[in-house]
Amino acid sequence: MSAIAVSDEILDELRGILGEERVLAGRSARFNRARVPAPFPVHRWQDHVPDVVCLPRRTEEVAAIVKLANRFRVPVVPRAGATGLSDGAVPLRHGILVDVKLMNEIREIDLEDRTVTVQPGVNMLKLNEELRKHGVMYPDDPASYPCSLVGGRIGTSGWSLIGGRYGHTRDLVISFELVLPSGEIIEVGDGGGRKIRKSSTGYQLKHLFMGHQGTLGIVTEATLELVPRPEAEFSAFFAYPDYETAWRSTGALARSGLATLAGVVLFDEWKLAYLRRDDEAYIPQPAGVRAVVATAMYGTTDEVRPAAKRLLRIGRETGGDYLGDEISQGDWASRHDRYATPLHGRLPGGQVAPMSWHCEDAAINWSQLPAVREQWHAIVADLIARHPIFDDWGMFAYTSGAHKPWGDYLTEIDVGIWEQEIDEESWQAWVETKRAIAEVAIRHGGSISACHGACREGEVDLVPLELRGQFDVMKKIKRTLDPNNVMNPGKYLLDEAYEEEEA
Amino acid sequence: MIGFRLAAQRSPEPRRVADAVVMRFDHVYEVDPALMTEHVRQQEMPAWDTQRIVAGRWDYLAWMHDHWADSVVSGAELEAETDL
Repeated sequence: MSAIAVSDEILDELRGILGEERVLAGRSARFNRARVPAPFPVHRWQDHVPDVVCLPRRTEEVAAIVKLANRFRVPVVPRAGATGLSDGAVPLRHGILVDVKLMNEIREIDLEDRTVTVQPGVNMLKLNEELRKHGVMYPDDPASYPCSLVGGRIGTSGWSLIGGRYGHTRDLVISFELVLPSGEIIEVGDGGGRKIRKSSTGYQLKHLFMGHQGTLGIVTEATLELVPRPEAEFSAFFAYPDYETAWRSTGALARSGLATLAGVVLFDEWKLAYLRRDDEAYIPQPAGVRAVVATAMYGTTDEVRPAAKRLLRIGRETGGDYLGDEISQGDWASRHDRYATPLHGRLPGGQVAPMSWHCEDAAINWSQLPAVREQWHAIVADLIARHPIFDDWGMFAYTSGAHKPWGDYLTEIDVGIWEQEIDEESWQAWVETKRAIAEVAIRHGGSISACHGACREGEVDLVPLELRGQFDVMKKIKRTLDPNNVMNPGKYLLDEAYEEEEA
Repeated sequence: MIGFRLAAQRSPEPRRVADAVVMRFDHVYEVDPALMTEHVRQQEMPAWDTQRIVAGRWDYLAWMHDHWADSVVSGAELEAETDL
């Protein structure tokens, strides 16, 4: 479907649905909703500006907008907190942007069946402030915890820092209401009523309608899991003389079988070198500290205290030195909110330059981490040699399995990017770098993404290679549910579905 | 009324603590000013503002702990309790 500018007729109809004040056609409203924190071709900003921004409050309004989009064949792009790292909320074909931030009601707190029902514009931090009064918590904890919204977490099938203990977004969302690409409203869950966690009736569609990056509909309400508010938190950071020892220790800690263990994170030598430049916790560390492993636990005090003792013992027996309470507690607390960190990077001569943070992620098995790490750093070093506006900020590997955090790891290489200096040549070099990073992940039996999604320019080219026959099924589903290709068109190479149909 | 106090305005001279890091107050680190001359200029800040930002950071971390759990277990205390 080619891009069609939104006409006055469409604007008038949108105003009829939402009223004058919730249809925004001014420049600032549209330009501010063009990008997300993922690297962005700032030299081509206008390529991604929506034609109009809509701010619905009710499900029926969202459905009416989507039906209108079908009638006029105009793209619709859903947007929640816009904190994603995979471009899901970036309009590729302009069109109508549906911003759900005004859909921010907490509809029901059910303390008997332990659920909370919310609209998609609710933020987890604000939700948990309300839930605390009742002694419960919704434990979905991305690095964007203070600013991301429930709708985006569902649309991206988000990953949680404490997923080893409580599960990730897909484990914590019980059911949701969805406006399909046709404008039809359905309830999606495991089966049964909206508070049923496990059902064996019919196809399991909940996962299908999560993580689709806005290509299969817009969530308008969600029923979420409640867990007891933790009595105790414990975090321990360990220092190691080399990566090999830290990697083996990470495996031992993750395989400990301790049910309160929320996560184990391995920082490599490049990450330590980066932190030693600018992070108050790492600047004073002696030169012999070459790698660090972070751990965190949550639960009742009776669970956490003995488990923490065992965790400290395992860390020490596998070569780690406990870094102390100040670093362990302070650094862990800061990890719930990485988006607030002001960033700068270094050019090859050492001069400071303003840089934004970017991270390429993958899902990698523990056994493959050392080999992947070496290749990823070599790829980024080659990029920096050609374009010194990039800066290698090191890697981490984070236990990823929900409740079974020992097999595979969210693996990231963080790269600083001086975005103001990007031109088409350096942008294409970056895209090629992303493609190379994704290729290494697939070659080692991994996945392009454990956390962010894989629909960004560059890595998306390898999605058919990773998914093989599953990608053909994806295209058939997309074409069936969205026959006019109005829902976030251009994402995930799904335009191929329509090209094949025409052929 | 508190009058003008020079010490509250002017930070101490920096001491070098690492290759690219200097320190004016204990445990408050700054990028070496020599590395901030071309693309990003270092700002001059009154001492009280530096202290305010540092205190605010600690308040924020304490708030985050309290947000997630009723208590924080100390690893140092556990190590002292047991011969780990």
